[in-house]
Amino acid sequence: MGGGFRVLHLVRPFLSFLPEVQSADRKIPFREKVICTVVSLFIFLVCSQLPLYGIHSTTGADPFYWMRVILASNRGTVMELGITPIVTSGLVMQLLAGSKIIEVDNSVREDRALLNGAQKLLGILIAVGEAVAYVLSGMYGSVSQLGVGNAILIIIQLCFAGIIVICLDELLQKGYGLGSGISLFIATNICENIIWKAFSPTTINSGRGAEFEGAVIAMFHLLITRTDKVRALREAFYRQNLPNVTNLLATVLIFLIVIYFQGFRVVLPVRSKNARGQQGSYPIKLFYTSNMPIILQSALVSNLYFISQLLYRKYSGNFFVNLLGKWKESEYSGGQFIPVGGLAYYVTAPASLADMAANPFHALFYLVFMLSACALFSKTWIEVSGSSAKDVAKQLKEQQMVMPGHRDSNLQKELNRYIPTAAAFGGMCIGALTVLADFMGAIGSGTGILLAVTIIYQYFETFEKERASELGFFGL
Amino acid sequence: MARGSSQSQNTASSTTTRPGVMAPRGSAAATAGMRRRRVTGGAAATSELTTVGSGSSNMLRFYTDDAPGLKISPTVVLVMSFCFIAFVVALHAFGKIYRAKAGAGAGP
Repeated sequence: MGGGFRVLHLVRPFLSFLPEVQSADRKIPFREKVICTVVSLFIFLVCSQLPLYGIHSTTGADPFYWMRVILASNRGTVMELGITPIVTSGLVMQLLAGSKIIEVDNSVREDRALLNGAQKLLGILIAVGEAVAYVLSGMYGSVSQLGVGNAILIIIQLCFAGIIVICLDELLQKGYGLGSGISLFIATNICENIIWKAFSPTTINSGRGAEFEGAVIAMFHLLITRTDKVRALREAFYRQNLPNVTNLLATVLIFLIVIYFQGFRVVLPVRSKNARGQQGSYPIKLFYTSNMPIILQSALVSNLYFISQLLYRKYSGNFFVNLLGKWKESEYSGGQFIPVGGLAYYVTAPASLADMAANPFHALFYLVFMLSACALFSKTWIEVSGSSAKDVAKQLKEQQMVMPGHRDSNLQKELNRYIPTAAAFGGMCIGALTVLADFMGAIGSGTGILLAVTIIYQYFETFEKERASELGFFGL
Repeated sequence: MARGSSQSQNTASSTTTRPGVMAPRGSAAATAGMRRRRVTGGAAATSELTTVGSGSSNMLRFYTDDAPGLKISPTVVLVMSFCFIAFVVALHAFGKIYRAKAGAGAGP
């Protein structure tokens, strides 16, 4: 294990160059936190609309299409990389530390600092690497077309955007803002997408004349222009290839269901040992791991897609490559590749109910895959992230909390009755909801909506808590 | 940041018979906890409890501790971001001007 230590110590020389936001040396008022959060969000939104300077074209297939939902990135803009660098480096480091490949003693201050430094350094390195890879692979036009100067400028822009996202995220997490930057950016990106699909004023010329892209606007447009109102309504509700009102309603329904389920929890009473009469409660939620299972699941699937697409383009005749996935250009979303066979096809949601009826095996396989993957990831994640029964028992003990009616040694056993079940079952529920959202054709994708709702709910909770604590401070 | 809320949450849910006595103790604990976190950083576990308990919202939190490094204040981060945006916008603007000039100079 000495090797592991050395790996971590390799970071030390770089530590003094890494940008580091100062910790707050005072209690930041709630209002300041809100302002800070809003300003960071504004910066993120501007960056995700601002086109990169020097790019030639962004047409053609986009191999990262499937990842964009969870990575909050926008094609051809400064936020091309989105939060990819942070999320990738964070997951890699957590997995390395969790699986004890890198030995980290969490009670040693220096170790934690080194781990943080390593994460940030890896994040920046990933940003640089991806920027170079994007430019060299000709995503914005080949290098000879762009010119060397422009190519370097693009790389600089992408790297700097990555560093800014890292800094903003750190800024929010160090207590100057609410929640974490990553979840804020993901949720914003998805909500923006949903709002756009509902109210977009863009017209698209399909076979039957110009149609509005936004579902609600299209409905009114159809109702006003068509003479046959019933047929107009039916068209607004069921039109294919563009967002329709059914999709919108499905999205709202999923929102409500998820929020309803968020309230499910088992509350364990705990009592403080040294402060008499202080009783608290330790809630174990049904969604114990929250949205982590779907983040991991979609990271897995999008990586599979990426690899499969690359292989298919190079060696489409190979049997094993075809087994992994066959791809075809979609006729609707310009130049987008969709899976039509192999493993990649079976882990993709069926496009519609009709598609499901035509291919029941596909639907079944997808359902089983989602449920088992989510449950599995959820169970793994509690071990990796340090929220398993053992860790929670240790934390409660450190806080001098006991469960009334149980001995100290029994605490872990008691927690063990609930936590793994909650994790596995909660993960499965999240998976089932994602599948439901996909089948009902909710806007975006099931994954995206589930992510957005859980994040928004978390924000809502933080918001309430902050306000409560603020009131407490003034009340005393 | 979770510290103050943790204590207030506990006191809020406490069923004490002497609220007058309990309240100041709770606030003292809260402030002590906040001070402890900055000085030693050993109170990390305490904050974990509240975050894990309140829905595992700490899943994607990475940078919670202080690390040695190039210290920058939050204002600097925001200003830096705005400068970056301004820089890209300026690039676009100059690019347009330069291209227009070059186009006019070369001329058909």
